[in-house]
Amino acid sequence: MAELTPLLAIHSVAIIGASKKTGKVGNVLVRNVINSGFTGEIFPVNPTEKEIEGLVCYQGIRDIPKPIDLAVVCVPAPNCPDVMEECGKKGIKLAVVISSYFSEIGPEGLKLEKRLTHICNKYGIRMFGPNCEGILDTLIPINASISPSFPMQGDIGFISQSGAILLSIMDWSKTVGLGFSRVFSLGNKADLCETGLIHYLADDPSTKVILCYLEDVRKGEEFLEAASQASQKKPVIVLKFGASQAGALAASSHTGVVGSDLAYETAFTQAGILRARTMTELFDLAKSFSYQPLPKGDRVAIITNAGGPGIVASDTVENFGLSMARFEKETLDSLRENLPLEANIYNPVDIVFDAKADRYGFALEAVLKDPNVDSVVIIVCPTAAADPENIARTIIGLRDRYPDKPIFAIYMGGLALAEGAKMLTRAKIPSFTFPEPAISSISGMAKYTRRADKQTEGEEISFTDIDSNRVKAIFYDVIRDRRSVLLGSEAAAVATAYGISAVPVKLAITPEEAVAIAETMGYPVILKVASPKILHKTDVRGVSGGLNNATEVHNAFLDVIENVQRYLPNVIPYGIEVNKMMPKGTELIVGMTRDVQFGPLIAFGLGGVYVNLLKDVSFRLAKGITLAEIAAMISETKASTLLRGFRGEKPADIMSLIDMIARAAKLISDFEEISELEINPLFSYPNGYAALDIKITIEL
Amino acid sequence: MKSLYIMGSVGSGKTAMAVGLALKFKQEGLKVAYFKPVGSTTLTSKADEDAILMKELLNMPEPLEIISPIIASPLYLSRGNRSTEMLRAIKEAFTKVSTNTDIVIIDSAIYPYALSTIGLDSPSLAVELNASAIYLINAKNDYTLDESVFHNRYIQSHGVNLLGNIFTHVPIPIQAKIEGVYKPLLADIGFSTLGIIPKQRVLSSPSVAQVHELLGGELLTGEDNLDLLTEDIIVGAMTIESALVHLRRGNNKIFLIGGDRADMALAALETSTSVIVLTGGLYPDVKVINRAMEKGVPVLLVHYDTYTAIERLSELAGRITPKNQNCIRKAIENVERYCDWQGILRECK
Repeated sequence: MAELTPLLAIHSVAIIGASKKTGKVGNVLVRNVINSGFTGEIFPVNPTEKEIEGLVCYQGIRDIPKPIDLAVVCVPAPNCPDVMEECGKKGIKLAVVISSYFSEIGPEGLKLEKRLTHICNKYGIRMFGPNCEGILDTLIPINASISPSFPMQGDIGFISQSGAILLSIMDWSKTVGLGFSRVFSLGNKADLCETGLIHYLADDPSTKVILCYLEDVRKGEEFLEAASQASQKKPVIVLKFGASQAGALAASSHTGVVGSDLAYETAFTQAGILRARTMTELFDLAKSFSYQPLPKGDRVAIITNAGGPGIVASDTVENFGLSMARFEKETLDSLRENLPLEANIYNPVDIVFDAKADRYGFALEAVLKDPNVDSVVIIVCPTAAADPENIARTIIGLRDRYPDKPIFAIYMGGLALAEGAKMLTRAKIPSFTFPEPAISSISGMAKYTRRADKQTEGEEISFTDIDSNRVKAIFYDVIRDRRSVLLGSEAAAVATAYGISAVPVKLAITPEEAVAIAETMGYPVILKVASPKILHKTDVRGVSGGLNNATEVHNAFLDVIENVQRYLPNVIPYGIEVNKMMPKGTELIVGMTRDVQFGPLIAFGLGGVYVNLLKDVSFRLAKGITLAEIAAMISETKASTLLRGFRGEKPADIMSLIDMIARAAKLISDFEEISELEINPLFSYPNGYAALDIKITIEL
Repeated sequence: MKSLYIMGSVGSGKTAMAVGLALKFKQEGLKVAYFKPVGSTTLTSKADEDAILMKELLNMPEPLEIISPIIASPLYLSRGNRSTEMLRAIKEAFTKVSTNTDIVIIDSAIYPYALSTIGLDSPSLAVELNASAIYLINAKNDYTLDESVFHNRYIQSHGVNLLGNIFTHVPIPIQAKIEGVYKPLLADIGFSTLGIIPKQRVLSSPSVAQVHELLGGELLTGEDNLDLLTEDIIVGAMTIESALVHLRRGNNKIFLIGGDRADMALAALETSTSVIVLTGGLYPDVKVINRAMEKGVPVLLVHYDTYTAIERLSELAGRITPKNQNCIRKAIENVERYCDWQGILRECK
């Protein structure tokens, strides 16, 4: 779906609002395009000028005698719609609107922005911005942006929602020698947003890694699809800031750890997106992916000329979930024979303080050859003997001979090591000052490798024994009653219609009715007040359990009604629900909340009091979830240890739990109106399970 | 000429009942007039709003000062006891209104006991105007039934021909209780139940325009959507993590929140919200206004605190306007489907 590919092959550009005056945006743009070495035609447009920066200036777009691939617009915001009309009439299909004072200033600006978008849609123009910094492409090459720095050519594609960050990075990248393929500033994202550009970069042969700085995501589900497809081809690394997108927050009182950020985290993980936590990490990862081959696994070898840094690096490897490689016997033998006696031949390989380039070279080659090593970290401390530049040359040479394994250099020092580190960077070997960022980068790469290995998708879940019409009928009644919260009896009926073993629940209006229900259901029973207005029934003493005969049920009914009236005088309960009491099982929770951005999110974990205490909950997006993923979701929690039979307990029926979660996921996916669903507690038994209390909230 | 005095507590749906009965009787070919002896005014209207509504609906030629001859504010006694001239005015106006009609629907003041000090409460006026009465009950619990029985007895003790009671705005959960418990109990003590009307959204839900009128303040966006109905009030005092759970439970809600809580306001906009009221005079983040505009949700900025706003909102009740045909249709339907209007007409003297 790389619909942008033909559009972004730019051969001619018009700059509308071009200016003669140095320092004005309209002048900066003209100069930037010229200075970037753009070989196509440049048409400045300004009704009052004849010539700008040596180029013929046109009165209007219609006066330009040739076709135009890209219009860069920097006229004042109120004039933009007219300019866009002109662009449309001229047949221009791609525009970059630098002008600001649109939706970022409020409703008036938003209206103007909508007008602009409407015109774009009318003429089939794809637009960057408004309020963006422009686009840069080192392969065309063209700098159609206000960035004074034009980056070196490279294979990193960069999408930035922040203009200022983009400007800073373009400037900084030159000092560290980082090269980019294509760079896009998103601005207000009135038309083009991250989704389309990720598609484009995924199909772009000149881009090896996709980098995004995002503050929010438009069209969450489409974004995930794009990212998911892209990450099968190349790594997609996202730095996501801006927690204020509260529309994306998702929470329920018990799966309380759910927050907007968690929705992002879950969605990103499932789409295979690598999430950077800091700006440093974003560019470290970019550098690593850009420069190095992918590690085949997570086994790291460390070579060092000093003990302390080796220990720090080893611990960091473990902390990042990687493992220290265990060398083959041949490697160990060769290291033992050739390294000094005081050296440590096991990982981390300590080649001691007097190591020079030759010893580094020997050790590095030995571990590179070892099939048990997936990546190598090489630490150089400024000892008296160390010759950092020669060591750099040796590393570069060996990298060329063993191009399939990634090498990360840690030049732990400052001035003494600066030149060596620079040589490595120029030769595209990532070099760091301290171990943590280097190993964090390896961890990111290994994560991507693991994901690439896991590309075998399971089949989608389907059931033949579900009764969606029954659910429709229940929802119809609830909506007619202008309620968004289902009564327990209704929720149980909905779950049952989807084949979930819900504990029988019946609504009683009078004490006599409650007794009759209990007699049919069989004792013991538990009574719960039925009201959509009451979130926590026990808080208002609206629950009475362990009832074993008719008299107890009768009295409990009246007690519960009176308790609730005392706590919440304005709430009129629908009645009292009679629930069958179940034997104790392993207490679990299954929750679902519809994230505004990414759709339904499903949660599984230990239930009861443990929910808030242990926060032992794992999450997945419900749409298209497979049985294998549900099993993985269960096994991620501490609850899974309990379920497998902890300390002589009988193991629980995990297959029935997987089936239950799959049914809940199906229910949520089938009925978009369900905004929340919570089964808490869910008792798991050696044979089957029982869903005790089901809460369902729907949107009217 | 018959006359029927409609009494009931605040929010019991007296106006809807007046509209429903008057238009139903009119449909039946009767000449119907409306009379509200003791009216009240609001900030925006100088005449009684019910009088304005009914004058239009019934095409009454009489001026508003005749349809509602007395306007009494909560501080009416400041002008001293003017009961004699008030009663005279009421009687004169009533004579004019009732001339050439088959039935006059008389609407009671905001409370049935209003003006009791000077002897012009609804039961006393019913005697003066020789009207039969019905008493509307907005039953919330057993005490509100007690209150109604208390009023019933008081009305009867004046010698008024009390036709019976109509339960209004009945939520589904207590329909069965009213039918099975309240109605027989009332019958035992001699009061007949003339109707049980279920709660109707269009009649009991105030519009955003009413919220604006009541709270004042600056409308930041949503001018075109002031006719949205409100059904719930939620205050954004919860944590952001649990906000959605609460927000998703309120339909067509009025959401009250400080202007500096952009996160909460944005979350509310993703759920069913009819109006966002920003308290404390804090202007919101531009994102909030943009999103509200996109969603068509009015945003109101008020300069007082949340508590004051809530207090003011407690006065909010659904209101019928002449333009709102849907409301008017519902009011007639309620009378037709759920009330013994033939019985009322028959027994009314």
